[in-house]
Amino acid sequence: MATIASSYNPREIDNTEDIPGRRAPLVTGNQTYSSVTEMVCRVAEDPQPKIWWLLFGFSSLTAAMFLTLIAFLICKGVGIWGNMNPVFWAWPIVNFVFWVGIGHAGTLISAILFLFRQNWRTSINRAAEAMTIFAVICAAIYPGIHVGRAWLAFWLLPYPSLNLWMWPQFRSPLLWDVFAVGTYASTSLVFWYMGMIPDIATYRDRSKTPFRRAVYSLLCLGWTGSSRHWMVYEKAYTLLAALAAPLVLSVHTVVSFDFAVSQLPGWHTTIFPPYFVAGAIFSGFAMVVTLLVPMRKIYKLENLITLRHLDNMNKIILATGSLVGLAYGTEFFMAWYSQNQYESFTFINRAFGPYWWAYWIMVTCNVISPQLFWFKWFRTNLVAMWIVSIFVNIGMWFERFVITVTSLSRDFLPSSWGYFRPTMFDGLMFFGSFGVFMTLFLLFCKFLPTIAISEVKGTIAAAEHADHAQAELLGETHGGHGHGGGHAHGH
Amino acid sequence: MSEHKPTKNIESRPPKACGWMAEFTNEHDLLEAAKKVRDAGYTKTDAFTPFPVHGIDHALGIKPTILPFIVLCAGLTGLCTALLMQWWMNGVDYRYIISGKPFGITPASIPVSFELTILFSAFTSVLGMLALNGLPKFSNPVFTNPKFDRATNDRFFLYVDSADKYYNRDSVRELLGSVHPTSLDEVMEDSSPAHLPRAIWLGALLLVLAGLIPAAIVLNMRASYSDLPRWHVFFDMDFQPKKKPQQTTTIFADGRSMRPQVPGTIAKGQLEEQDPFYLGHDPLKMSLADYRRAVFVSATDQDPPAEEKPADQKPVEPGATAPVAPTPAASTPAASTPAVQGAPAAPAAGDGGQAPKYAWLEKLPIEVTEDHMNLGKVKYETYCAACHGYSGFGDGLVAKRAASLLQDTWTPPTSLHADRVQKQPVGQIFHTISKGQGKMASYASSLSAKERWAVVLYVKALQRSRNANIDDVPVEQRSSLTTAAVPNGAESK
Repeated sequence: MATIASSYNPREIDNTEDIPGRRAPLVTGNQTYSSVTEMVCRVAEDPQPKIWWLLFGFSSLTAAMFLTLIAFLICKGVGIWGNMNPVFWAWPIVNFVFWVGIGHAGTLISAILFLFRQNWRTSINRAAEAMTIFAVICAAIYPGIHVGRAWLAFWLLPYPSLNLWMWPQFRSPLLWDVFAVGTYASTSLVFWYMGMIPDIATYRDRSKTPFRRAVYSLLCLGWTGSSRHWMVYEKAYTLLAALAAPLVLSVHTVVSFDFAVSQLPGWHTTIFPPYFVAGAIFSGFAMVVTLLVPMRKIYKLENLITLRHLDNMNKIILATGSLVGLAYGTEFFMAWYSQNQYESFTFINRAFGPYWWAYWIMVTCNVISPQLFWFKWFRTNLVAMWIVSIFVNIGMWFERFVITVTSLSRDFLPSSWGYFRPTMFDGLMFFGSFGVFMTLFLLFCKFLPTIAISEVKGTIAAAEHADHAQAELLGETHGGHGHGGGHAHGH
Repeated sequence: MSEHKPTKNIESRPPKACGWMAEFTNEHDLLEAAKKVRDAGYTKTDAFTPFPVHGIDHALGIKPTILPFIVLCAGLTGLCTALLMQWWMNGVDYRYIISGKPFGITPASIPVSFELTILFSAFTSVLGMLALNGLPKFSNPVFTNPKFDRATNDRFFLYVDSADKYYNRDSVRELLGSVHPTSLDEVMEDSSPAHLPRAIWLGALLLVLAGLIPAAIVLNMRASYSDLPRWHVFFDMDFQPKKKPQQTTTIFADGRSMRPQVPGTIAKGQLEEQDPFYLGHDPLKMSLADYRRAVFVSATDQDPPAEEKPADQKPVEPGATAPVAPTPAASTPAASTPAVQGAPAAPAAGDGGQAPKYAWLEKLPIEVTEDHMNLGKVKYETYCAACHGYSGFGDGLVAKRAASLLQDTWTPPTSLHADRVQKQPVGQIFHTISKGQGKMASYASSLSAKERWAVVLYVKALQRSRNANIDDVPVEQRSSLTTAAVPNGAESK
């Protein structure tokens, strides 16, 4: 795996130091516009490295297994899973929430960081958005096949039915979920696609074969880079960002309503929406780090996705991880403070009941492991951050497991208590969804622009502009523009 | 590509010039040049850049877009759509009654309204951007210049269109040449054929036709009838690995899927089938023929016929229009029948002796205590009084309401003080409560056996109170009765 290679990797430049009065460079290695284009387009144009084919072979086989298992599930019924009284919402819902949570980082990076003018987002937003789309696809599969008769999953939508003569129940959080996840998936998709249009045009214009050129021409809709188009495009992008920002927060809020609106101890709490959103951002950023650390190494993108980017993401992981830890504590406090015996029992049962192991895996991975990011060494060491991000992914899966299964397995009536045991199919299908996710992500790397080329170029231009202005302010004299901050543009 | 039918005009005339395009290596030179072109008065201009250049809108004189207003309208449309949809679907067309929660627009409508607002706005942002930019547009004169490929990489182009009203080929060339571009080219019309090759059309047509086949099959099946069993594309739950009654099986030696009772066991509730306490009559005291009839009646869930016919034939009991209940003192002594004294009810001759002759219980199987009396009163007033009335004259609220509506389908409830009912033994009244009678439903699921007996006790007490005289009242309470203007008939001590 990747190592901290600043000593012998010429591309691995430590730009995490903050020098007072100087704007830290967002990309390293004296990048020009054409070098950025070159670096990103090479990912798709060069033959893929061996590791890509290895990973692709493995993940596409895993995805094929997943699809086969779905077919088997549809033939045989959901009884092949371990879902059994009293835990009917078992792994399928855990996996759904897990994947939807991961799918929060992309649009958060694209939308909220855009609104906050965090220019460092430009190097990572594209890959994160792609990850969002693929995670939401994985998430949407689970409720689709969990409904039992998957071929009737379209009953979830309000459509004028010829056979039922009825409409969905709009007061149900499960229906809100259909709208929230549907809106989120489609909006993220158009956001992602619209962001890619100028970069696909770059791919088109570098195409060597007519076929490739034709496909990319179709995909980029004939984009020319016209300034008149850019003006409308930028406005549309800002609008989309402003629309997507509350949308990101709403989606996991609505997902949390699935739990919070029911009256089960451990679910029926008002803390759920913010708690779920923090957890979603937490897990999403962890997944971005998990994907980007190897990706930048394999495709030699260390100059664009710099250590500073990773450092920033790790700081967000630390912040959201601490928020999640605070939420765990608050839940316990409320269980005690409410003096509700069922609520108290549920939380004591979580930590010390039959699922104690899941609870403490969750606490270790989610609360303790990100605390390492208080230390800069962990934030900038590739191996360390990758391992912590994996821990966070594991921990966030267990969080959803703990919430879903512990509350359901022991509710008000001790006579109906049970212990959930997954079957082989639960495990294989969860594993298989990673196959779908990775297959899509690898195909994305091979065929689509993995980094927002035009936005990185805009960042370089803006940084140069700012440096220029700063230099003038400080009274420094420069022969020309384009010297500051390690940037230059092609002359 | 165009080997089929090269259009004549393309071959016949040279491509038309569309304008001039100057190339620059950085955005600063582009901005300077753009300002010069703008100051020269040209408006049909454009710049092509790899990223949005800061300040180019001012330099070229690009007006702000109206996209935000379009998106605002789309968002409001989404909001209204969501509210109207939820109001109509759940408030008007299909109401779900859940815990008495209100229909239509409630706080529960917020999430869907929010999501649809975002959905409409987001799609309008993207589609509006494309529409305002005239995209997709695959044929564009600027693409004819091979240098233009770098417009998405690292070069900056400034373009003046020949459609501009001040356009003059030579003066534009001179102006653009004066800003030191890397290159300056005349943009030519795209001369490649505008039509798609016939093979693509054919392929697309075939695809569309193939796509219509499933729809055609479905439409045909909806419109036609067939005697064949339906296709099971999905099995739903039509085939389940389980046995139903009357089916055969190989699991048991006798081949029957329905299992007989295991010898020496008693099924749940089986004891009650023989117990007078749960029946109101004693099956062991019936003749065998009557017993069989009773089993038949109970199994087929038919009303015991015959005896109750008179009730349906003469629905002129006091019922809804009953006057104020007579005082106990005013009732005729002749009608006074002791509660537990009546002769066994004789079945009427109506059905040729088909009705079983039950051996009704003559004595209450529960003790006559104040507790039981109060229990009976509470249950009577909960379940019976709505129709039969608090005093038992068949003048409950429901009966009065039905009478005032002149409902011809309504059978007035029987007055409990009718002669016929007065003569019924306690077991028969219990049976009526347990099994129902005429339009009256069974109350066995609402009242336990003990509660039903308590109601019987209370009904008997009501009947007694209607037929008592002053001598039946304890001496110390007589004065309170004689001074009361309208005594409460339900009270009987």
